[in-house]
Amino acid sequence: MKINLKVNGILEEVEIEASTVLLDVLRDKLHLTGAKEGCREGECGACTVLIDGQPVDSCLYSAAAAANTEIETVEGISANGLSAIQKAMVEEGGIQCGFCTPGIVMTLTALLRQNADPTPKDVAAALNGNICRCTGYSRIVSATLKAAKNAMAQKAGDAHA
Amino acid sequence: MDFIYAQKLEEALNALRTQAGRAKVLAGGTDLMIQIARGEKQPQALIFIGQLKDDLAAVSLSQDGHLNIGALVTHRQICADRQVQASYPALATASASVGGWQTQSVGTLAGNICNASPAADTIPPLLVHEAVVTIQSAARGLRDVSLEYFITGRRQIAIENDEMVVGITLAPLPADTADAYLKVGRRKAMEVAIAGLAMRLTMAGPEIVGELRVATCATGPVSRRAREVEALFSGQKLTDELVTQGASLLGRMIQPIDDTRASAQYRKLVIPKLFRGAVLECLAKLGIAISGLEKS
Ligand SMILES: Cc1cc2nc3c(=O)[nH]c(=O)nc-3n(C[C@@H](O)[C@@H](O)[C@H](O)COP(=O)(O)OP(=O)(O)OC[C@H]3O[C@@H](n4cnc5c(N)ncnc54)[C@H](O)[C@@H]3O)c2cc1C
Ligand code: FES
Ligand code: FES
Repeated sequence: MKINLKVNGILEEVEIEASTVLLDVLRDKLHLTGAKEGCREGECGACTVLIDGQPVDSCLYSAAAAANTEIETVEGISANGLSAIQKAMVEEGGIQCGFCTPGIVMTLTALLRQNADPTPKDVAAALNGNICRCTGYSRIVSATLKAAKNAMAQKAGDAHA
Repeated sequence: MDFIYAQKLEEALNALRTQAGRAKVLAGGTDLMIQIARGEKQPQALIFIGQLKDDLAAVSLSQDGHLNIGALVTHRQICADRQVQASYPALATASASVGGWQTQSVGTLAGNICNASPAADTIPPLLVHEAVVTIQSAARGLRDVSLEYFITGRRQIAIENDEMVVGITLAPLPADTADAYLKVGRRKAMEVAIAGLAMRLTMAGPEIVGELRVATCATGPVSRRAREVEALFSGQKLTDELVTQGASLLGRMIQPIDDTRASAQYRKLVIPKLFRGAVLECLAKLGIAISGLEKS
C-alpha cells in the first residue's frame, strides 16, 4: 500500500506493507537513521520519535497508523543546528557511546515543550522508557535542567529586549 | 494483510461485520504490532480506529456521576485526568505503571483490557470498581458487560467478531471509600507486573468495614476478585488479626505460575504483603488510624 507520511514537516509518499513499523520506513526508505533499533520490542526507547508531539517507540508503531500525523525525528529538530537540549547534552557530557542519544533527545524535547521547568524527578519519570547503558543518567538529567534554565533565561531576556 | 482506516465509528463497525473475524482492531498497537511481528497473531486485516478521536478519545462525567472513558483514551491521559485522580486513583497509578512514556502515549485502556494479559495492570483496579465495558456492533447496536464477565480467560474476552469496545464506565463512589493499586516489578519503571493488587475499601464506621474488594493480577491465568477474602471483612471490625487472616487466605487462594519474572512461591509470599499494604494505603487516604494495625 502507498501512504503519505509527514516527517519533519515534509510529506513523503512511501510504499509499505500493513505490518510495516514506522522505524523501518524512517531508516530504510527515508534514510533517516537517527532513530536507532535497539530491542524492537518497546523496551529501550532508542527508536523514539515524536508523533503529534508525544514520544512513541517507532519500532512497534504501525507506519500506516502514522499517516495523517506530524512525525518528528532527531534530524528534524537539529535541521538548523543543534537544539538547546542537544547542546546541553554535549556540554554536560550526557553522551558516551551515543546509541541511546537520539531517542533520549526526542523524549526530552517533548518533555521540555510540555514542562518548561522540570524537576529532576520529572526528568527521571519522562525517561522511564529510555535505557542508557553508559552514562548512569545523572548527566542527562543535569543537561535537561541546564537546557530548561537556558531557555527560561533567554525567554526572560527576550521579554526585556 | 489489509489496512483499513476507519474515519467514522460506523465505518469501523461495518468493516468488522464485513471482515467476519478475519480482522483485528488496531488502537495504539503496543500489544498487537509486537504480536504480529512475532507471528503470534496473523489477522488478514487491521481496522485502525486511531482516527476516531472525536468519538472515542474523551473522559467524561455523565449527569448521574458515572465516568465514561472512551476506547481511545490512552494511559497517559488516564494518569493525568483530574477526575480519575480524584475518584479512582488506583486506576491512575496502574496506568502510570504501564511501560514508559512511549507506551503510555499511544497504549489505550481499552486495548489493555482487550488484550487481557494475566499481568494487565489496569484490570485489578477496574475490577474492584466494577467497571462496565460498552460494546458496539453494526448489527446489534450497544450492549454493556461487566468487566468481570468480559474477561473470560487468559487473553480471552467475551466479544463477538463483529463487535468492538467503545468505552469503559465507572460508577460513582459510595462515601468513605478509598482505593489502592500496588505492583511489584523487577524495577520501578516499565516492568510488567510480577504481581499486582488493587483494593477498594469502604468504611461503615470508625473501625468497621462496610465493604472491602480486592483483585490481583499476574497471580493466575485470569485477574479475578477474591470474594472469599472480601466476605471476611464485610461488617467486621478492622483489626490487625483480621488483616493477617485476609492476607493469608488470599495468598492461599491465588494460583500463580513460575515464569522468567518470578517463581510461584515468591508470588504467594508477596501478595499477602501487598494486601496489607493496600489496607494501610486505603486507611491513610481516608485519614483513619487504627491502633495495632501496622505494616508487618
Ligand atoms: C514496552 C512495553 C511495556 C509494557 N508494559 C506494560 C505493563 O507494565 N503493564 C501492562 O498492563 N501492559 C504493559 N504493556 C502492554 C500495554 O501497552 C497494552 O496492553 C496497551 O494498553 C494496549 O493498548 P493499545 O491501544 O496499544 O492496544 P493494541 O495493541 O492496539 O490492541 C491490543 C488488543 O486489543 C484489541 N483492541 C484494541 N482496542 C480495541 C477496541 N476498542 N475494541 C476491541 N478490541 C480492541 C486489539 O485488536 C488487540 O487484540 C506494555 C507494552 C510494551 C510495548
Ligand atoms: S528499538 Fe524501539 S524500544 Fe527498543
Ligand atoms: S550513551 Fe551509550 S547507551 Fe546511552
